[in-house]
Amino acid sequence: MASYDSDKVAKIHRELHSHLPSEPALRVKALESLLVAKGMVDRAAVDAWIDAYADEIGPKRGARVVARAWRDADFKARLLADGAAAIDEFGYHGHATGHLKAVENTDKVHNLVVCTLCSCYPFALLGMSPGWYKSNEYRARAVRDPRGVLAEFGISLKPEVEIRVWDSTAELRYLVVPQRPAGSEKLDEEALAGLVTRNAMIGTALCQGPA
Amino acid sequence: MDGMHDLGGVQGFGPIEIDPDERPFHHDWEARMWGLNEAMTGDPRWTIDWWRHVRELILPLDYLRRPYFDQWAQVYAALLIDSGMATVVELATGKAAGPRPELGPPMQAEEVAEAARRTTDFRRDGGAKPAFLAGQKIRARLSGAPGHTRLPRYVRGRPGTIHACHGNHLLPDAGATGEHRAEPLYAVAFRTADLWPEAAGSPDRIFLDLWESYLEP
Repeated sequence: MASYDSDKVAKIHRELHSHLPSEPALRVKALESLLVAKGMVDRAAVDAWIDAYADEIGPKRGARVVARAWRDADFKARLLADGAAAIDEFGYHGHATGHLKAVENTDKVHNLVVCTLCSCYPFALLGMSPGWYKSNEYRARAVRDPRGVLAEFGISLKPEVEIRVWDSTAELRYLVVPQRPAGSEKLDEEALAGLVTRNAMIGTALCQGPA
Repeated sequence: MDGMHDLGGVQGFGPIEIDPDERPFHHDWEARMWGLNEAMTGDPRWTIDWWRHVRELILPLDYLRRPYFDQWAQVYAALLIDSGMATVVELATGKAAGPRPELGPPMQAEEVAEAARRTTDFRRDGGAKPAFLAGQKIRARLSGAPGHTRLPRYVRGRPGTIHACHGNHLLPDAGATGEHRAEPLYAVAFRTADLWPEAAGSPDRIFLDLWESYLEP
């Protein structure tokens, strides 16, 4: 039974530090073998989870949601009012989207999402999070120097544009609705979704019009 | 706890390494670790908050240096030992020496699609009415808390404004001790100018979701 004892777990971490294999691949292999041997995991289920997130569950989902918000003002209003209910219209609910909040970029406001304390992310809508999102550098700097961080992603905002950084400290998860690019007026929903990148839905990219 | 995980605003880190490769996993072991996390049946007393706290307790240098999913492996190793379900030797060798824990059968492949659509609701209606209103000025509590908490150091003691109330949500500080207790949760806006000396005059704001006991009038 879980002890909920911080000191006990700190001691366990120190012990593990000096006893487990040095390579992560070997540590994970040993963990998987042990969990299978103890009847706590079925390998086929592990495979099925990896497959589900390889393609079907990924940023294409978020892109379709944004594309619809761009074309359908009523849907956008529903999305901004209750993100979790709005993505249910697509059947996209799942991990970490139970309390989804959509935030909209405008000429006056640019939104950026981070999790400074760990790496919270709306998995069922955007898939696995990028490596940089989980990095110490991004977590430390996004709240301190958002303009410097955005510049590294190639974004330069006018000084009067307000940056709103959303630090995911609770179970709410954030989706940035980027600005619809010029030149996309005639595109249908599917073509519009093709303009929406993963980074744009985190706030580290702007959407570009059709080439 | 005032741990190494509380990285917001810490200075000295260099440029962000932006990898244009957007595949979900870059190594097979990362995918395996993530799949194990989803598919395994563990101690029913584990909570998301206890999980996060066990990650926070990783030795500080390991926390900064070890790859993300490798930290997950470390978390599960520690959780299993703490719950009496595995030993260090078993985790090092991958071979079971002790008995199987008394748990139900593990998730099967055909159950995954359904499980992937499952959401967790952390809101608990009823209970205390919110003490603060949207637009109200507040100050984040100055001191931290022992154990797990979600009040980052960089806003402690700083003035902010209630942006919205999200209703009553389970408190992570309690969840990390196996207790399920809800209190009002707020989106709180902090001006960067109130957080950082170099941000004077900036229009930028940082929004955090903070529980009522983290705030003072």
